[in-house]
Amino acid sequence: MHLIQRMKIWKELRRLEHRAKEQPSPSTFVDLGQVYINLGLHNKAERMAEDGLALFPKSIELRQLLDCARRGLRNRRAVELRAKLARSPSPKLFRELALIQMDLGDSNALRATCQQWSMRFPDDAGCWLMLGQARLTNFYRDLAAREGQEAVQCLERAVVMDPTEAQSRRLLSEVLYRVGAVCEAQKHLQVLREIDPADQEVEQLLGHIATLTDTGTDLNVLLDEVESHGSLRNASLQAALPVPSAERSIAEVRAALARVSKLTGVQKVAFIRGSKAIVKGQIKNGRDPFLRIVRVTAKAAHRFARRLDIGSASKTVVEGSFGRICICVFGEALAAALCGDGCDVDQVLSELQELVAGALHAVEE
Amino acid sequence: MSKIHDAIAELRHAPGVKGAAVVTNDGLVAASSLAAGLDSDVISGLSSYLMMTTNRSLTEGSYGTCSKVLLNATHGKAVFVQLDESYLVVLFDQFAEIAQADREVDETVARIRRASKFS
Repeated sequence: MHLIQRMKIWKELRRLEHRAKEQPSPSTFVDLGQVYINLGLHNKAERMAEDGLALFPKSIELRQLLDCARRGLRNRRAVELRAKLARSPSPKLFRELALIQMDLGDSNALRATCQQWSMRFPDDAGCWLMLGQARLTNFYRDLAAREGQEAVQCLERAVVMDPTEAQSRRLLSEVLYRVGAVCEAQKHLQVLREIDPADQEVEQLLGHIATLTDTGTDLNVLLDEVESHGSLRNASLQAALPVPSAERSIAEVRAALARVSKLTGVQKVAFIRGSKAIVKGQIKNGRDPFLRIVRVTAKAAHRFARRLDIGSASKTVVEGSFGRICICVFGEALAAALCGDGCDVDQVLSELQELVAGALHAVEE
Repeated sequence: MSKIHDAIAELRHAPGVKGAAVVTNDGLVAASSLAAGLDSDVISGLSSYLMMTTNRSLTEGSYGTCSKVLLNATHGKAVFVQLDESYLVVLFDQFAEIAQADREVDETVARIRRASKFS
């Protein structure tokens, strides 16, 4: 880089650092973090994003900055590890590099690392576990039979090489019962129970799969069925457990919407998160123009506030011959009400604010 | 035109007001009185976008058009009042109570409307 260019960048950096101190806002932190990333100072960008998130914990841009900075740091660590491995290879270094590559989602690099690992240390089962984990992630994502077969092969090899290693056996048993090979999975879980009798999770898993029906031992057929149906035969233990918090949060949203809709003068109420909406009042269906108006206005207000550097638009009121449209936004959650004559707008806004704050908290749980 | 200028310059002295501008519906600044650091072109562009987008969605939904928009953000507040062929934008700091400045805003709107009629 040219000396003058470098000086210009450092000058800009000082200006941004000063701005971030004097006028802290998500955009000032993001601007500064971006410059750090461009200069290759990912650790400083990470610190900047963490400082920003301490002040603005709901900022999506700051989370993206943190993610970007951490990816940069992981990439740098991967380069260092490759250099170290070229000088003095060890299973520990291979494991760390494979984990980083798995986090980065770089499957080709992960495969190459595991290949080298297995060539250098043929008795170490770790490479097969890593490869199995990566394949398993792909299988659960795409439900492709081929990925499932390869995942099972890798995990079985890891289990054969190190029968006392719990992780590979646990992953293997999970994929087996989820595709329908319940009896096979049970065998692995019983071995896990013998290895560690105090493991509560194994007990729970055994209890869970005792309620499932075995649909055969031919894994290829079972995996092909999963691929053709586009869904796994059995749910995981976590999914099978009752999740009262999510249901409760929706029930709470509905109750809050009903409460707002009963306020004097309120005609329509809606709660929107992403493409989903829950409505109450004089709204026929999801095609009601009120929902579009609310979405568009909230987005425009958000953009106005962000570009003007005044943070996030939390409350917006639109007045016209139709009455008043009150909109409250908190994170990704949005609640809005159409109010007519005699409506207490402040009360509606405070109810809507409570609604979005509670809903976001529940979603984060 | 100077009457419009005077009206918004006076509004600028109201508590918590950081700036005020009259922006035409197509996004041109007719008059402005803004605190240092606020760019009239940026404000006109952004407020024009907000008003146009909101009005378009309201019209498409058969709600008519808006007469006023109040916006509360983390570090500031804004009020937009539709005039005939333009609108008044008033920017407040985050601690200002918009309701307290209602009277001043209404007076300014009336003065701008009168000045527009005579001109």
